[in-house]
Amino acid sequence: MNVLEIKGLNKTYDSFKLKDVSFSVEEGHIAGFIGRNGAGKTTTIKSMLNLISIDSGEILYFGKNLKDKEREIKSYIGYSSGTISWYPHKKIKDIIKVVRRFYDSWNEEAYQKYLRLFELDENKTPLELSEGMKVKVNLLIALSHEARILILDEPTSGLDPFSRDELLMLLKELKKDKVAIFFSTHIISDIEKCADDIVYISKGQIIAAETKEGFIRKYQRSNESLEDIFLRLERGEDNA
Amino acid sequence: MRNVLYKEFKLSASLLTYFFIAFSLMFFIPGYPILCGVFFVTLGIFKSFQNMVETNDLVFSFLLPVGKKDIIKGKFLFVCIIESISLFIMGLICLIRNTFLVDSTVYRQNFLMNANAFALGVAFVMFSLFNLLFVAGFFKTSYQRTKPFLVYLITVFMVLGIAEALHHFPGLAFFNAFGSEYLPIQLMTLSIGIIIYLLISYLAYRLSCDRFAKIDM
Repeated sequence: MNVLEIKGLNKTYDSFKLKDVSFSVEEGHIAGFIGRNGAGKTTTIKSMLNLISIDSGEILYFGKNLKDKEREIKSYIGYSSGTISWYPHKKIKDIIKVVRRFYDSWNEEAYQKYLRLFELDENKTPLELSEGMKVKVNLLIALSHEARILILDEPTSGLDPFSRDELLMLLKELKKDKVAIFFSTHIISDIEKCADDIVYISKGQIIAAETKEGFIRKYQRSNESLEDIFLRLERGEDNA
Repeated sequence: MRNVLYKEFKLSASLLTYFFIAFSLMFFIPGYPILCGVFFVTLGIFKSFQNMVETNDLVFSFLLPVGKKDIIKGKFLFVCIIESISLFIMGLICLIRNTFLVDSTVYRQNFLMNANAFALGVAFVMFSLFNLLFVAGFFKTSYQRTKPFLVYLITVFMVLGIAEALHHFPGLAFFNAFGSEYLPIQLMTLSIGIIIYLLISYLAYRLSCDRFAKIDM
């Protein structure tokens, strides 16, 4: 079952264009969204969250159009960005106190469970947290309102190798609960470690959107690693 | 909507917004341009908008299960509640000054504007200008606040100057009436102020919704 489906998404800026972006994410799958800086990853994600208006195309969650069912769909989505933090001077518990009111599906047990698991101190402010901890706060919110799809914009950026590994392990765990995960990254080893599917974007266009195995089969030459494949494709030496 | 409003007060608002409501008490000061109190209240609200930009409040709001219009509605309700509390305090002071303190010499020998129904009516107009020029102006970009605030600042001080000067013109002394003098015409100016506030604030809300709908975050 497709949790997310993007069809023919177009968005034009003065100096950049997203061209006919289409892909889907299945329930219980981890999809790695890869592309170099400026390839269009964040623009695509912002479109998926209705943070920017699109010129044309369709964004469907559970078969429902985001434009028509924005409030309902947003209650299924958990979002985290590795670069933005909210209300840097407010205590985590005060932020949570407000956020939980918005979700009928808020699960206090899950909240307490992940709070312990992530070793988060509710009395700290985002300003006092490391980058990894900030991502965990966003995940804590998403998991406590039982989000069915996690959209993570470069969640591993700025994390040390240990925290990165920990986060990727957690994503694998969440997958078991049938949560769909869509995460953008430019770190190829993240994809290697935990993605089931690859969505590869370059210069605003989707180059590939398929299973990791399928992608490797299609693009690999001799014994190239995934990193070598991407580097070659980025250099424009594509011969699938 | 209750949840959005709760978020406005708990997360988005700057503490200064609440403290600056106290400037409504300037309506008590004799021999002072009391309408400056209205400006200071709006300066306090401006601080919340500044806070909003600095804490990524709009993007955060966007990710909650609410629509774009709900976000604007929440912001406007917040602004109007702060303004209403201030207007209530100012109204109360007008009442006290014109009843219990009606014989007080310091208020009787006031060269500047008296705290009366006309002053309150002008306060309504000043708040409506803030809603239209600053709040709706801010939602043109959702981050630029200095320019719309400057436009508001210039306009509001012109209105303040005109309002202060009005009663010095021959035949217009009734604008500065004290106690129950010229009460019907005074109340009429207040009613006009309230109507202007309601109409312009609604217009500002609609304008903000339209502008915000086109914005890319």
